[in-house]
Amino acid sequence: MFIPQDNERQKITELKISSGYDTCFSITDDVFHNKKLYGRIEKPHDKFEISVSGCADTGLNVFEEFTAEGSSYPYCPFSTTVFGAQTKLTMPGANIRKYHSSLCLDTIPHPYNKTLRIMRAIPEVLKYNSGSTEIHETAENALTLGKGVCQDYAHIMLSLLRMEQIPARYVVGMMLGEGASHAWVEAFCRGYWYGFDPTNNKLVNDEYIKVSYGRDSSDCPVIKGSFYGNGIQTQKEKVNVEEIQTKE
Amino acid sequence: MNDLIRNAETINKLLSRYGVKFGIYKNGEFREQLFPFDPIPRIIGNDEFSYLEKGLRQRVDALNCFLSDIYGKKQIVKDRVIPEEFIFSAKGFLVPCDGVTPPKGIYSHISGIDLVQSKDNNWYVLEDNLRVPSGASYPMIARELQRRSAPDAFTKNDVIDNRNYADLLKEVMDHVNTGGINVILSPGRYNAAFFEHSYLAEKTGAVLTTGKDIVCENDNLYYIDYNGKKQRVGAVYRRISDEYLDPMTFYEESVIGIPHIFEAYRKGNAALLNAPGNGVADDKGIYYFVPKMIKYYLGEEAILMNAPTYLPYYEKDMQYVLDNFDILVIKDVAEAGGYGVVFGSSLTAEKKSEFIALLKAEPRRFIAQEVIDFYDLDILDENGTKVPRKADLRAFVLTGRTTKVWASGLTRFSRNPDSFIVNSSQGGGFKDTWVLSR
Repeated sequence: MFIPQDNERQKITELKISSGYDTCFSITDDVFHNKKLYGRIEKPHDKFEISVSGCADTGLNVFEEFTAEGSSYPYCPFSTTVFGAQTKLTMPGANIRKYHSSLCLDTIPHPYNKTLRIMRAIPEVLKYNSGSTEIHETAENALTLGKGVCQDYAHIMLSLLRMEQIPARYVVGMMLGEGASHAWVEAFCRGYWYGFDPTNNKLVNDEYIKVSYGRDSSDCPVIKGSFYGNGIQTQKEKVNVEEIQTKE
Repeated sequence: MNDLIRNAETINKLLSRYGVKFGIYKNGEFREQLFPFDPIPRIIGNDEFSYLEKGLRQRVDALNCFLSDIYGKKQIVKDRVIPEEFIFSAKGFLVPCDGVTPPKGIYSHISGIDLVQSKDNNWYVLEDNLRVPSGASYPMIARELQRRSAPDAFTKNDVIDNRNYADLLKEVMDHVNTGGINVILSPGRYNAAFFEHSYLAEKTGAVLTTGKDIVCENDNLYYIDYNGKKQRVGAVYRRISDEYLDPMTFYEESVIGIPHIFEAYRKGNAALLNAPGNGVADDKGIYYFVPKMIKYYLGEEAILMNAPTYLPYYEKDMQYVLDNFDILVIKDVAEAGGYGVVFGSSLTAEKKSEFIALLKAEPRRFIAQEVIDFYDLDILDENGTKVPRKADLRAFVLTGRTTKVWASGLTRFSRNPDSFIVNSSQGGGFKDTWVLSR
């Protein structure tokens, strides 16, 4: 699973990781420098539990600056191509294409404004409905269904942004007052990554704690794993975010 | 030589008894079929082999430089030698491998380079295989069996002893080993090349394993033996493709991989042969750029020629392809094993216009090549008469401390007189390959 780390928007302190079993854990980072926790239980078990707690100082900045190793903006083929290319989940089909042309985005000059327009438009065609879509549903299917969860909002937005040649990434995180993890989008405008939350039609601010990001939801599942055996598994996830202090 | 021909049937019987089979999936069913052995060897003279050896070493060295550049600084893209569309959006470019340096900086340890000889005696490279090239075990065991039936045929004909393949392989594994044992990771007994996995394990002294015997703990790999004892693993010659290697990094549903093996690899705690992500360099689209790579990285002209290739991605080439469609062979860059190959002349008018529409819609997906007039090799048909058939040669190039070419190879032939496709998965056979010491 991924754990939140410091960036230009947030600072993480008092991070505590605990698990109920005698499990060995390692911390590593993935190719996008997300911080990843992984481990295993060797003995037979019927539960794998892990809890992470900490404090986040948020809203330190409104964007994240673009940092590319070894190359500098505007020439940065890896970041722009990797996040500019559609993935299996964001690949537009007939419905997204039709929807894309109905938005008349070519009349809007600046990528940031295009992104805003897309964010505002998606809630008009998608109804929030938990349990209506599969874990890794495609953007096209979600739009066709007309309902979905935050992940589907984000995938549709990624698909549209990438059609507009705006590199964009999928973000998993937490939000004040939510019982589960949340997902939103970061779009690359003028050398900066800005956060947009199409589910709530809201710009990402100090209510958001970022955990990980990737090309789509399959790069940054909240938790994943595998086991040997014939058991069936269910997964429970609980997120609790409380405000402890407001800076003047 | 006559001894060899006389014993051909016995050798084929022995091969089947040793389980030298090729498993294929067809219509959802697993079937094992024999890989027929033809007793007439392909003979390569010493001068000719020296030429091939030089060319192959140069090619593989350049490909290794390319892989290290692509997953590192990406200078060849910045210098606009290869367009970025051919790299970052290629199926073979694995994003998780970006920035990872394998032990000793080697990406392609075992390279299988497919060559054909034309009627005018030129050699052409048809394809580079830098992921999990298989096939070395077939000529190894065929030679072993032939040696029994005609022990002096090889010394009498000045054939270079090819029994050193396992030593070459072991040398490479030992060179990149990060401390621990060498293992061969096989998907298991139902894999098409399981015979090869077990044979190479036996010959190199590596432990033959499947994913379930290996665990990753604290970024290290351990083999759990029959006593439950853990032994550190330093090098994994994996015969599992990238997608299935690590369910936590790649294809999540994989049950034949090892969870977190990628972590051990990227932290430098275990070597993987070959490195994951090599698919970006043996893509049929990238093939076009290999001579340019040789020039770019080594400052040399390519010794071995590519088959004349056109990239419809470039407008000029697209025009050529459309004008000469009937004399070209078009290949889908995403397909392998002889699939996705279309001979322009074989299409009906209707199919042709359909295909051209597809080509225009997705130019990046295809390459077009001139059809090479193969130099045919004789094989013995069912009645024992010699008949000419199309054949290719897979050369095995091993990179450890230095890059070496195995003085043998896998000569595959097509049993169908009209077919150009020699892949074993399409029912071809194989021959021994003699490299002479004179």
